[in-house]
Amino acid sequence: MTMPNFTYIRPKSLKETFQHLSAGNARIHAGGTDLLGCLRDGVFTTEKVVSITRIDELKRVERLKDGSFRIGALTTITELANHPLIKERYPALAQAALEVASPQLRNQGTVGGNLCQKPRCWYYRGEFNCTRKGGARCFAILGENQYHCVLGGRGCYIVHPSDLAPVLMAYGASIEITGAGGTKKIPIDKLLVLPEQAITRETALAPDEVLTAVLLPPMAQGSRSSYRKVRARGSWDFALAGVALALRFYEGKVTSAKIVLSGAAPIPWRCPDSEKIITGQSLNDEIIARAAAAAMREARPMQYNEYKIELFKGLITEELAAYK
Amino acid sequence: MSQQNPPFYSDEQTVPETPDPGSAPKSWSRTSMVGRRQPRVDGYELVSGKAVFPSDISLPGMLYGSVLRSPHPNAIVKNLDTRAAEQMPGVRAILTGKNPEANIVWSYPGDVKSMLFESHCRFEGEAIAAVAAENSYQAGDALRAIKVEFEVLPATVDELKALQAGAPRIHDGGNRTKPPESYQRGEVSRGFTQADVILEHTYRTECEIHTPLERHGCVAKWNRDRLTVWQSTQGVYRIQSQVSSILGMPLSKVRIIGQYMGGGFGSKLQADKETIIAALLAKKTGRPVKLFMSREETFIAAGNRPPTNMRLKAGVKKDGTLTALDFTCVATGGAYPAGGTSGVDWQIKDLYQCPNVRTELSDVYTNACPSRPFRAPGHPQGSWALEQMMDALAEEIGMDPVALRLKNIPAVSQARSGNPPYTSTGLRQCLIEGAKSFGWREARRAIASSDKDRNWRKGVGVASGTWVAGAGGPPSTIIVKLFPDGSVNLNMGASDIGTGTRTVMALVVSEELGVRPDLIDIDNADTATTQYATPSGGSKTVPTESPAVRAAAIHVKQQLLAMAAEELKEKAASLTMKGGTILSLNDPSKKIKVTDVAGLKKQGIIVGIGYRNPNPANRATNPFAAQFCEVEVNIKTGEVRILRFLSANDSGRVMSRLTYDSQVIGGITMGIGFAMMEARILDRNQTGKIVSGNWHDYKIPTAMDVPADIVSVPIDLPDNEANTTGAKGLGEPVTIPTAAVIANAIYNATGIRLASTPVSPVMLRRALAAKAKETSQKDELK
Ligand SMILES: Cc1cc2nc3c(=O)[nH]c(=O)nc-3n(C[C@H](O)[C@H](O)[C@H](O)COP(=O)(O)OP(=O)(O)OC[C@H]3O[C@@H](n4cnc5c(N)ncnc54)[C@H](O)[C@@H]3O)c2cc1C
Repeated sequence: MTMPNFTYIRPKSLKETFQHLSAGNARIHAGGTDLLGCLRDGVFTTEKVVSITRIDELKRVERLKDGSFRIGALTTITELANHPLIKERYPALAQAALEVASPQLRNQGTVGGNLCQKPRCWYYRGEFNCTRKGGARCFAILGENQYHCVLGGRGCYIVHPSDLAPVLMAYGASIEITGAGGTKKIPIDKLLVLPEQAITRETALAPDEVLTAVLLPPMAQGSRSSYRKVRARGSWDFALAGVALALRFYEGKVTSAKIVLSGAAPIPWRCPDSEKIITGQSLNDEIIARAAAAAMREARPMQYNEYKIELFKGLITEELAAYK
Repeated sequence: MSQQNPPFYSDEQTVPETPDPGSAPKSWSRTSMVGRRQPRVDGYELVSGKAVFPSDISLPGMLYGSVLRSPHPNAIVKNLDTRAAEQMPGVRAILTGKNPEANIVWSYPGDVKSMLFESHCRFEGEAIAAVAAENSYQAGDALRAIKVEFEVLPATVDELKALQAGAPRIHDGGNRTKPPESYQRGEVSRGFTQADVILEHTYRTECEIHTPLERHGCVAKWNRDRLTVWQSTQGVYRIQSQVSSILGMPLSKVRIIGQYMGGGFGSKLQADKETIIAALLAKKTGRPVKLFMSREETFIAAGNRPPTNMRLKAGVKKDGTLTALDFTCVATGGAYPAGGTSGVDWQIKDLYQCPNVRTELSDVYTNACPSRPFRAPGHPQGSWALEQMMDALAEEIGMDPVALRLKNIPAVSQARSGNPPYTSTGLRQCLIEGAKSFGWREARRAIASSDKDRNWRKGVGVASGTWVAGAGGPPSTIIVKLFPDGSVNLNMGASDIGTGTRTVMALVVSEELGVRPDLIDIDNADTATTQYATPSGGSKTVPTESPAVRAAAIHVKQQLLAMAAEELKEKAASLTMKGGTILSLNDPSKKIKVTDVAGLKKQGIIVGIGYRNPNPANRATNPFAAQFCEVEVNIKTGEVRILRFLSANDSGRVMSRLTYDSQVIGGITMGIGFAMMEARILDRNQTGKIVSGNWHDYKIPTAMDVPADIVSVPIDLPDNEANTTGAKGLGEPVTIPTAAVIANAIYNATGIRLASTPVSPVMLRRALAAKAKETSQKDELK
C-alpha cells in the first residue's frame, strides 16, 4: 500500500517541537527508518509528523567530567559504532551497533529512534487487529509464534527489537527525557515497559516528551563486556536470541555481573538469578551451566518457540565461557 | 584505399569455415570468441542506469493503476461500494467485475476458470477491483475508500489438512487438482527384496517466493486500436498471444516490449491479471496506465515454488547398486491448478540408474496464491529428498557418498519412453572433477579426525542433479544485419532476463563474423521489431537461440562471400574472413575488405536469417551438476556458516565464461536461500493470511550469507549431437542440488538429518534438542 496523508513539520528547537507534539495526534520523526515503515504499513496513522532532525543539540556525543558519556538522541547507529571512545570503553555497545540492521539503516537510524522503535511482531505489523493495536486478541498465542517471547509476555508476546537496549541496560545507562516542563533522568529499565504495564505502548514516554540523550556511567576498573546476537541471516535481521554481558572481575572472580537478553521478552530481559550465581565465583563449566539454566527457569514457551530455551542456554554458556 | 582493417573487427580473428547454403555448419573445433571471459556487452547501460526497464517507463499523461485485493484467503464479495472512491481527488477510473469490459474469464490449466475480478476469493491477494489515478498515492487512497462487504469462509492453507475428511472444499470437485499421478518402472517390491539396506524418510520443503528485484507489472498505452505494453517479462511473444486472445485483438495490433527486465525466475513467463487490468484502465481513461505490484503484493499474487511433503523409501545393495526407489509427494500449487507437484519426482526417476522406481504425486488445492514455475520447478524439492537419502544410504553401507553416486550413473534417460540415450552426460566428470577441485577426500579425512569438543563443528557435503529440460529447441527466428560500414546488428525476440543472453549471442555472432562483440548492436524482446521467440525459461535460451543466431550469422557470411566471390573472381567456398577482410584461401593476393564489397554497398544491407532446427530424434539432452560445500555449525546455538561452495556443471559447451560463472554463483546463492531462510509462512492455525509477506520477514540471503569462496568448475563438453553450438542449459541445474548439499554437510558436521527447510537456527536448535533427547533416552535404556 502507499503512504497515507500527513503533514510534515521540521521545527528548529525543542520548544517548538513540544508545541506541535502537545497539540496531539503527532509523531516524532528522527531517521524515519521505523516510523515511515509503520505509517506505510498502516500500523498506526498520524496527522502530523514532527521531525527533530534540525535540532543540533541532539546530535552530540560528549564525554562528561565524571567520565560518563552523554549520547545525543540523534546520534546515528553508525556514528555510535565508529566512535573511538565508545569502541574503547563500551565495546559491547559498539559491537551491538554494528549488529543492527544493515549499513544503510545504520547510517540513517538514530539511537533515540532505536530505543523507541515499534516491535517487529508480524501480527502487529500486519493486517491483524491485535491487542497492541487496541484489539481484543493476541494472534501470537495460537498462531505463528516461532519468533515470539518466552519470558515476560502477558496479553501480548512481542520481543523487544533493539540490539542497543540490552547492552545499555547491562551498562546501567540512564535516559534523558525532555518535555515542556523540563528535563528528567530515568534508568533505562524504567523507559521500556512490559505489556502488563501498558499493552499498547513500549516506552514510558508521554506523547509530548522527547528522548534527548542516553547517559552511560563511567566504566569501572576490571570491567569487561560483550554482546552476541544469533539470527536467521547474516545481516539485516533482528535477534532470534542475544545476550549482553557486563562483568567485573577482581583476581579472577566475578565481582559484579549483568546479564541481559534480547529476543527473549517484550523488554530487554535481565537475568538476576544467573547474575547471582556467578557473582563471587570464578567461572567454570558447572557454574556457567547453572547460570544458563537459571536464566530460563521462568520461561514459558508457546507452540513454536520452545527452541529458544535451549538456544538461550547454549548462547549464555558459550558467551560466559569466553570469560573463563 | 587505406591499409587498415575496417573498424568493428578483431584484427587477428579468423572466422570458422562457411558451409554451403543448405548444408549444416560443422561444430566449432576451436573458438576465438565463444567461451571467453567477455564482460557484459550491455554492462555500461546496466550499471549506469541507462538501460530502460519497464518500471522506468514514464509517459506524458500517464496514470497509475492499483489493484484492490482480498485480505482473506477464502471469502465471498457480497457487496462492493466504489461511490466514495470515485469522488476522490485524482481518481480517473475504477474497474470492477460489474464493468462489462472487465467481465473476463481467467483460465487456469485443466480448464478451471475464474474471473478477472473474482467474487469468490480463494486466496489472499485475489483481485477484486482496480483504480487508475493521477499518482500512486491517490490510487492508494482510493483503494482504501472502496467499501467491500465479505462473507468470510473457513480457509484451508495446509495441504495435508486439505486432504483430510471434512476439510472445507476449495472447489466444488474437492481438494485434489486431479487424481494422484503415478509412475512406475520395474517392481519396487522386488527391488526391496534385492536390497541389503532399506531406508525410509520423510522430507518437507517450504514454499519459496520468487521476489525478483524488479516487481511484476507493466505500462499500457493505446493508440486507437493498437495496444502497446511495456511489460517486465521473460517472453514478449507469450504475453502478446495471451493479451490478444483475452482481449480478442489481432496479434498485429498488440505490441509487447520488454527489452530489459529485472528478473523473473519463472514468475514472469505469463501475462499477469495486471497486464489486462492496465490495458482496460488505459482504454477506459484514454491515457497510458502504469501498474506495478507493490513488493508486498508480489508475495501474495505473483506465484511461488510449491511447498512439498515427501516420503522416500530406497533400497541399495552393499556394493552401492540402487535396487528400488519409492517416492510419494503431497504438494500444493494453491487455489487453482498451478503445477503443485510438477517436476518433483524427476530426480528420483532419472538421475541415477535404478531398475525399480515408483512415484506418486498428489497435487492439492489450498487457499493460497497459485504457484508459478520457479527456477527448476520441483527439482530442488525432489533433490532435497533424494540427495539426503543417497547420503544416508552411503553411510549405511559404508561407502563414500561420491562413490555411491558414481556407482549409479545412467547412460540413458530411464524415465523417458524408449529409454533414449543422452546426447552427452558429464555427470561422472562433474563428480570426479568436482571432488578433486574441492579436495573432497582430504576434507572428509580432516573432519573425521577433528576436535569434537568445539562448539563450531565443520562438515562437508555433496549432491548431484539433473534438469529435465535444458536442450532448447525450435522455434526461433533470428536476424543478423550487416551494414555497408561493416557494423552488425543482432535482432532477436528473446528476453535477456539478467543471465547475459545478449552477451552470449554477441559472442556467437562475433565468432562467425569476426566483429567485436561489444560493437554489435542488439535489439531484442519487442514483438513489433524482433522475431518470434519462446519465453526465456527452462534453461533453454542459450541452446535454443545460439544455434539460430549462428545460422543467421552464417547466412550473412554466405551472402557476403558470394558477393565477394564475384568481385574477386573466386569460388565462394575458397573464401574466408579475417579481421574484416575477405581473402582467398588459394591465392593470398586476392582479398577485399568487407566495407569495399560493391554488392553490399549497392544493396545497403545484408540480412541473414537463422532458424532453430529440430533436436535429434530419440535422444535426451540434459545438463548435469555436482556440488560440494563445507559448513560450520554451532551445536549450542544452531547457527550455520557456509564456508565454501563448489559447483561442477556439465552444460555442454561453455559459451561465455563470465556469465557462466555468474549463473553458478547466483544459483548457489538462491539455493542457500531456499535451504536456510526462505519460507512463506501462513497463519495456518487461524486466519490463513501470510505473515512473512515482505522482504523483512521473508528472508533472502544477503552478502553476509554467501561465501566469498565459490568455485565454478565447468565441465566443458560441447554437445555436438544436440545442436550446432553444443550448448545445454545452465541457469536451473546450478540451483537444483544446492539445498541438499548443505543438508548433507550439516549432517556431516552434526549427525543430524534435516527433514525440513529452512535450516535456520530455529530448525537446527529444535533438531539438536530432539537428538539430545533421543541420546539421553538411549543412555537410560543402556
Ligand atoms: C529492515 C530493518 C531492520 C532492522 N534491524 C534492526 C536490528 O537488527 N537491530 C536493531 O536494534 N534495530 C533494527 N532496526 C531498527 C532500527 O535500528 C531503527 O529503525 C532505527 O534505529 C530507528 O531510528 P530512526 O531515527 O530512524 O527512528 P524513527 O523511525 O524516526 O523513529 C522510530 C520511533 O521512535 C520515535 N522516536 C524517534 N526518536 C525519538 C526521540 N528522540 N524521542 C522520542 N521518540 C522518538 C518515533 O516517533 C518513532 O515511533 C531495523 C529496522 C529496519 C527497518
